[in-house]
Amino acid sequence: MWNTRKVLAFVAIAGLAIPVAVIAQQPRNGGELVFPVPSEPPSYDGHREETFGLIHPIAPFYNTLLRVDPTDPGGTKPYPSLAETWTVSPDGKTYTFKLRQGVKFHDGSLMTSKDVKASYDKIIFPAPGVGSTRKGQYSGVQAVEAPDAATVVFRLKHASGSFIAGLLSPYNFIYKADLLAKDPHWYEKNIMGTGPFTFVEHVKGSHVVGKKFADYWDKGKPYLDGFRAIFMRDSAAQVAAVRSERAHIQFRGFTPKDRDNLKAALGDKIKVQESPWDCILMVGINHNRKPFDDKRVRRALSLALDRYEGSKALSQIAIVKAVAGVQVPGTPFATPPEELAKIAGYWPDIEKSRAEARRLLKDAGVPEGFAFTFTNRGIPMPYEPLAVWMIDQWRKVGLNVQQRVVEPAGYYAVIRKGEAEVFMDFQCGYIVEPDLDMYKFLSTERNPANYGFYKDPVLDELYDKQSNTTNVEERKKIIRQFEKRLLDEEAHYLMTLQWHRIIPHSSKLHGWQITPSHYLNNTLDVVWLSQ
Amino acid sequence: MAVYILKRLLAMIPTLFGVAVLIFLLLRVVPGDVVEARYLGQGGQFQSQELMDIERKKLGLDQPIWKQFTSWMGGLVRLDFGTSMWTGAPIAEEIKLRFALSLQLAIMASTTAVLIAIPLGILAAVKQDSWVDYAVRIFAISGLAMPSFWLGILMILVMLIYFKWLPPMVFTPLWVNPWENLAQLIWPALAVGYRYCAVGTRMMRSAMLEVLREDYIRTARAKGLWLKLILSRHALKNAILPVLTIMSLEFAFLLGGLVVTEQVFNLNGLGMLFVEGISRRDYTLIQALVMLIAATFLTINFVVDIAYAWIDPRIRYR
Repeated sequence: MWNTRKVLAFVAIAGLAIPVAVIAQQPRNGGELVFPVPSEPPSYDGHREETFGLIHPIAPFYNTLLRVDPTDPGGTKPYPSLAETWTVSPDGKTYTFKLRQGVKFHDGSLMTSKDVKASYDKIIFPAPGVGSTRKGQYSGVQAVEAPDAATVVFRLKHASGSFIAGLLSPYNFIYKADLLAKDPHWYEKNIMGTGPFTFVEHVKGSHVVGKKFADYWDKGKPYLDGFRAIFMRDSAAQVAAVRSERAHIQFRGFTPKDRDNLKAALGDKIKVQESPWDCILMVGINHNRKPFDDKRVRRALSLALDRYEGSKALSQIAIVKAVAGVQVPGTPFATPPEELAKIAGYWPDIEKSRAEARRLLKDAGVPEGFAFTFTNRGIPMPYEPLAVWMIDQWRKVGLNVQQRVVEPAGYYAVIRKGEAEVFMDFQCGYIVEPDLDMYKFLSTERNPANYGFYKDPVLDELYDKQSNTTNVEERKKIIRQFEKRLLDEEAHYLMTLQWHRIIPHSSKLHGWQITPSHYLNNTLDVVWLSQ
Repeated sequence: MAVYILKRLLAMIPTLFGVAVLIFLLLRVVPGDVVEARYLGQGGQFQSQELMDIERKKLGLDQPIWKQFTSWMGGLVRLDFGTSMWTGAPIAEEIKLRFALSLQLAIMASTTAVLIAIPLGILAAVKQDSWVDYAVRIFAISGLAMPSFWLGILMILVMLIYFKWLPPMVFTPLWVNPWENLAQLIWPALAVGYRYCAVGTRMMRSAMLEVLREDYIRTARAKGLWLKLILSRHALKNAILPVLTIMSLEFAFLLGGLVVTEQVFNLNGLGMLFVEGISRRDYTLIQALVMLIAATFLTINFVVDIAYAWIDPRIRYR
């Protein structure tokens, strides 16, 4: 029974506890975030590089025009960064951005639209001899203009459903125009941005250190005094670093086993965030090799895979989990599971699926026990377990598959030459966006990275159609058609399982949200340490 | 002696040239290059041939092979290794950073090994077939059987699980903070030094046993000389020669060959640099590292040969 005294005592305790809980969630200033990075940036120029090894240690020194909302688990919502607001013209061809005022570079100079224009000109219209790895992504941009110091205008050749998503790229650092004018290669070897942290040192092969930028435009941020990114190639060493509490987090991802070990060893000292990962291994099929030029054979390869059971088993040992089509599950354009189940290779009844696979192989004249070689990239996780699983699945429809493993650096030289008949291919995006995720599958004359070497004008047309559509529902419909053609009717490429991102991190770390992309949320301005 | 030294020095030139030709050609035979490793393995969607052509031109990979070779050799003669194709930084700078760590680790491992191996080897030989000998043999065979990286992993696990402690993750030079430096390097030095010491102990024991059976040792004993004096003045000088050879070559190996151990302890050494260079097809860096390691081996061989002549006057050359 609760008497008055008890009730009063409860109210008093609860009254005290609520503010304590609120205070506990208030960001705390100070501390150095330490994190291992499994790869090292070749240069410091985000416009030139493609590796997360650049993003994790270098992104905190820069801002981009827009960014992904740091609280969005889907990692797709646009959020202001250097641009405070933006508008789109009625024809969808002109985007006008109003820039934040009073933003300073680390050298004390003011950032203006001139810097944004120079940075985007370098990305989209690089000078001769200057490499830009994302130039092709902005082929729809006609011009970048800076009518006044606070305004930037992008003029497009046609309306685009993905243009804003393209501006969310964490690689599109805003550089200082004067430095670019003097030497367009300056940023390859130097760091100077407007980001929340200033550069202290980079000891090659060892670490990068950044410290809080006192004049950062977002007052009160960053919360951290600094960060230390330690280059650590070996995954066991990364796990040991987190386990010994010498590091707070590793932003790329750990395996399920690492997660379980860390949780068992550290208990409440570890928090785990998980998400489907915008990376996927696909089976490429060389259309120039017989019998793989026959779509019945390609469909049979897909129909043989029991993706649902595979997901259950493989997600215990490898960094894969969700069964997916051309978009990451849970993101705006992803195919709902009930629709996905209608695509060949995704049918819930595996026996029916395999019977159909056998029938197709027979019709195509492929004999029982037909042997072929599956070429795989010499990277253990998750290439190895996925290949072993697929080879076993194909055996169940009477195919005899041998695996050939090629060393990673020489791998693409082999498949680019068309030397492989069936092979593992890979795609990883910095944001889930159909234009980015589906470009890979365009005809080989439009995309040299299509190693299936096929030509499919219907697929190309569907791609262009969805790309130029700004209506979301309309775009979804076209994407479904694209997916059906790619994975079912033509079976040009086969999807394996979506990667699964697992980030166990110190429970002292707050303000960081996992997304499907390991390239996002690395500016570290909103991250804080509770101790 | 002077003529011998000069001859040996001159003989190094064709050897180094042979190594240079071999490594240059072998690298070009392997599929893929640095530009492909940089842009095709990352999973990016928009791969452009134009970008790859720009990068290849920038690195001189568009030039004919013979031109690339002569340009590299020209630099080599001037001791200019060029720049890394991956980072664009001068190779001398890339190597210098890692050399300090690798050299210190090699010295620490060698010192540990020599300080343990020579007394243990002598002890085992003198006390042949006693429990001391058996104990030393077990110790040595265990060291040979256990890969140093595996021992390193065990060390890390023990430190982590039982002491909740891990060595520092970043290299601090000895002169900046000796404690931090030793706290990081002592463990890999012990892991590597144990195997190294096992090789030395076995070699020392067998060489000593052979020498102890020589007539001049028997004569010295018959004369009533003190055992310690016989061992140090007569036996050790003769027994140490093969040990010296083996341990010197091991030292050269330690400089660039500790790939897995460096990985386990996250050491920023030459071994890791080598592996990363290969996985990135960083031709200029690999070529420079191979030349450096070849030159180290040749120099150590040369020094050992001179030391042979100095220790044992019977094998002085004319």
